[in-house]
Amino acid sequence: MPVIELSYSRLQKLIGKVTKKQISDSLPFLGLDIESEEKDLVRIEYSPNRPDYSTDIGIALGLQGLLGIKTGSIKLTVKKSKNYVITVKPTISKIRPFVTGIVAKNGKIDDKTIKQLMTMQEDLHFGIGRKRKKSSIGIHDLDKISFPLTYTATDKNHKFIPLNSKKELTISEIITDTETGKDYGHLLGQSSKVPIIIDSNKKIVSFPPIINAGITTVTTKTKNLFVEVTGINKADAEDMLSVVATILQSAGFTLENVQISGAKNSSPKFQEKKISVDSSLINQTLGLDISTSKIISSLKKSRLSAISKGKKIICTIPAYRFDIFGPMDLVEEVALGYGLQNFEPTVSPSQTIGKTNPVSLQLKSLNQAMIGLGFLEALNSSLSSKRVLYDMTNRNSKNIISVLDSKSQEHTILRDSIFPGLIENLSRNIHESYPQKMFETGNIFNLEKPISEKINLAVISAHKDANFTEIKSVLQTLLKIGFRIQIQTKTAVNPSFQDGHCANIIFNGNVIGIIGEIDSTIIENYKIRVPVVGFEISLSDSILKSL
Amino acid sequence: MSQVFHDIEKKIINSLKENPIQTPETLENSTQLSPDQIRRGIEWLKLKDLAIVDESKSSVISLGKNGLDSFEKGLPERRLLNLVKDGPRKLSDIQKELGFVFGPAIGLCRKNNWVETSSDQIIIKTIPFELPGEKTLQQIGNKKLSKEQINQNDFSELLKRPNFIIEDVIKNKKISLTLTAKSLDISNDSGAIDVEAEVPEILVARTHPLKDTIDEIREIFVTLGFSEILGNLTQSSFWNFDALFTPQDHPARELQDTFFLDGISAKKIANPEQIRKVSDSHKKNWRYQWDVNEARKMVLRTHTTCVTIKHLAENKPDEARIFSLGRVFRNEKVSYKHLVEFNQIEGIVVGKDANLRNLMGIQREFYKRIGITKIKFWPTFFPYTEPSLQTMVYNEKLGKWIELFGMGIFRPEVTKPLGITKPVLAWGGGIERIAMLKYDLDDVREFYNNSLGWLRSNTKCQ
Repeated sequence: MPVIELSYSRLQKLIGKVTKKQISDSLPFLGLDIESEEKDLVRIEYSPNRPDYSTDIGIALGLQGLLGIKTGSIKLTVKKSKNYVITVKPTISKIRPFVTGIVAKNGKIDDKTIKQLMTMQEDLHFGIGRKRKKSSIGIHDLDKISFPLTYTATDKNHKFIPLNSKKELTISEIITDTETGKDYGHLLGQSSKVPIIIDSNKKIVSFPPIINAGITTVTTKTKNLFVEVTGINKADAEDMLSVVATILQSAGFTLENVQISGAKNSSPKFQEKKISVDSSLINQTLGLDISTSKIISSLKKSRLSAISKGKKIICTIPAYRFDIFGPMDLVEEVALGYGLQNFEPTVSPSQTIGKTNPVSLQLKSLNQAMIGLGFLEALNSSLSSKRVLYDMTNRNSKNIISVLDSKSQEHTILRDSIFPGLIENLSRNIHESYPQKMFETGNIFNLEKPISEKINLAVISAHKDANFTEIKSVLQTLLKIGFRIQIQTKTAVNPSFQDGHCANIIFNGNVIGIIGEIDSTIIENYKIRVPVVGFEISLSDSILKSL
Repeated sequence: MSQVFHDIEKKIINSLKENPIQTPETLENSTQLSPDQIRRGIEWLKLKDLAIVDESKSSVISLGKNGLDSFEKGLPERRLLNLVKDGPRKLSDIQKELGFVFGPAIGLCRKNNWVETSSDQIIIKTIPFELPGEKTLQQIGNKKLSKEQINQNDFSELLKRPNFIIEDVIKNKKISLTLTAKSLDISNDSGAIDVEAEVPEILVARTHPLKDTIDEIREIFVTLGFSEILGNLTQSSFWNFDALFTPQDHPARELQDTFFLDGISAKKIANPEQIRKVSDSHKKNWRYQWDVNEARKMVLRTHTTCVTIKHLAENKPDEARIFSLGRVFRNEKVSYKHLVEFNQIEGIVVGKDANLRNLMGIQREFYKRIGITKIKFWPTFFPYTEPSLQTMVYNEKLGKWIELFGMGIFRPEVTKPLGITKPVLAWGGGIERIAMLKYDLDDVREFYNNSLGWLRSNTKCQ
């Protein structure tokens, strides 16, 4: 989840009459977790479904509602203007077909506002922009651009001075040599042409979704902004723009319309949505019995607008709240506006009778039997490594099931057996007193349509007198006393076990496991200094099957 | 009250009564106890003020390499004298015969005027009866002697010579009985044993501490009227993500967060109607081209919710209280607070009473049973629930609020396509976190280290 850094004093200025404590107490009830605090600074984590919370300006709007300082929805006022036009050329339609934009005038921009806008931009790129793939933003100094603009495709020899650079670079150089080029260049695919926005003087304004031009850089001297959003989907691009427009208006800018023409594009409308919801659905879902007027005031505290029509509540949702899909989302907005701290938890008497799963019950009694036989329960991950599962125990690694791109080298392969893990456990305990007797039950995995999962039991005993007879006695007693099962052991050869000291475990004519003395080379490789005996059986093929 | 003695103590006291001052070695011989038993016995007696341990240091003398050589063949000068005592000899022959000791030997003989040399001739003048050091050399021989037993003049003569003498400092323990002990009559023993003595530890067999917590939580939910269902750890992306309204380009579905099984896809993931309706819901709400092949990709389940949603889709109950408990996976860097594989419990309630306050009530009841009474609820976000909450619980030991279970009501975008018509409450969370609080652990990896030291010493009944 994304994290942003805020300053309490700035928030206080943005919200109005509010104390620092009121802010820190209220943040969690907007769904914002406080990660850490230090004097005036607070780091908070927000959910990616609320990109408007990627700036302190957006959070201030939410807090104003929750604290009852300003409620109801935020309406965008966009002045109609014919001065700002972007023409979209058809050549772009197969590369990154959509562009939209807005002009924001007469705002004050200090360092902190620039920082907030930059984090907002990055968070929007990462979240709803899906790392700039779906949509990306460019924010420019309006006064450095001469309209009309053209959104078109160009070839990679085209040169301009990109943001944060002193010299002219070709587009190829930008893609191969700059950081953002390396990170996002792949989004342009194999096409020889790339998207650009150029102004009426043929100067490049932006090379989306990679980088802006240096000349349009926003500084503390900037008064007027031009924001463009490009993308592969029109609705997504407009969603993103609606967040930026809402934040800029709330930061004190006046918005002016940008006209977009050509190739399926059109000027952004920032259309509000209307959703109606029954007050009974709200009360039933929340377990409350509150009046429609209380529902409406709660929605307003969540910065939405609502009116009632009989039992129906008709809610108006501003464009930037595209996280709201339908009536259930409004139920949550009511809950937040009403205040979760005002909900009294209740327990409804249950008519149902609870039941432990029979498999869990059987595994539990098996555990008790193993404890009675003097064995300690171990737990290993089902995700293990080639070293533990195969290399160290001489086992064949032909049919392994591996996971992609694991961040941990010790967790790359799903185990097909439990005892290799137990032997590795012994190797980490050679300084502890012997005898060391351990067992583990758990899932094992095999490649079969596409994967079969079974439950196995593995048991090992390590001490100076450990031998085959001892471990076979354990196996035999466990199955006879625990489950009235008779098994046989038939001589077998297995690379993990000592020749002549190894047998298959047979139940009803089927091999259900293996038993024996662990091969001395394995013990030596692990630097264990006592003999080790053990067995592993499939419980799914024996006792669990008899359910 | 008569004192009670361990067998070891009795044997040592008896031996010391016969032979009042002894070393640990002589006690070993007389009592036939092991060095370790003697050591412990002496320690116990000392604590009871029954034995005196007199520790002293002394020097022990033995012969070095050259000393041993001279012990066998005589001192270098004696060897030279022996060679010339029967008449004049050639100096060069003598040098050959004596080898490296020739130098010191001829030096000493000349200095003491025992021989006379002229050009290549060497002639005897007098033969001394006994040379300084000779007697002591024989006295030490192959033995180790204490310094006091040796003639000091002789000794200083030998000490001058390189590698003749080795001097070691050793510690001596002399054990004797105190006056009280001497007057003890231990033969008049009541047959009682020392019930206060230390005893050996038993290597315990027990369930894994984490399993104890898992069992405890399972039992709480069963007694709250919930039934347990099980499901596979490997799941198709369809049930782990798509059925739960998580779009196919959602960051949680990237390799860096979820374990995808290399090259493994499920052939049959769900029935055609389920697939069509889930796909429609994604296309309509998330506006993208839903791809069935993406849904076929097998993953290690990232939550147990895939098990409960599958159960609901198959059974469509009007009323139900169900839970699922087991391992889940995240592709994370392993650290003191993160594991790639951990346990999660997930519970659901279906029915007409399924509302948010009841959901909060079930949480409160559960936490009460594991001993947590201070809780509060905060809003949060999950792709598949609306509203979504998280519980914060107050931990007295840490003195802070900790995030535990997440919960919510399944979104209609999740339930409708699967034909589930009643509201579904759902909640869940990690079990290791609760177990860490219970066992006072600050490193979650301990649960899977299988360190016998920890497993054998952990408190079982809490």
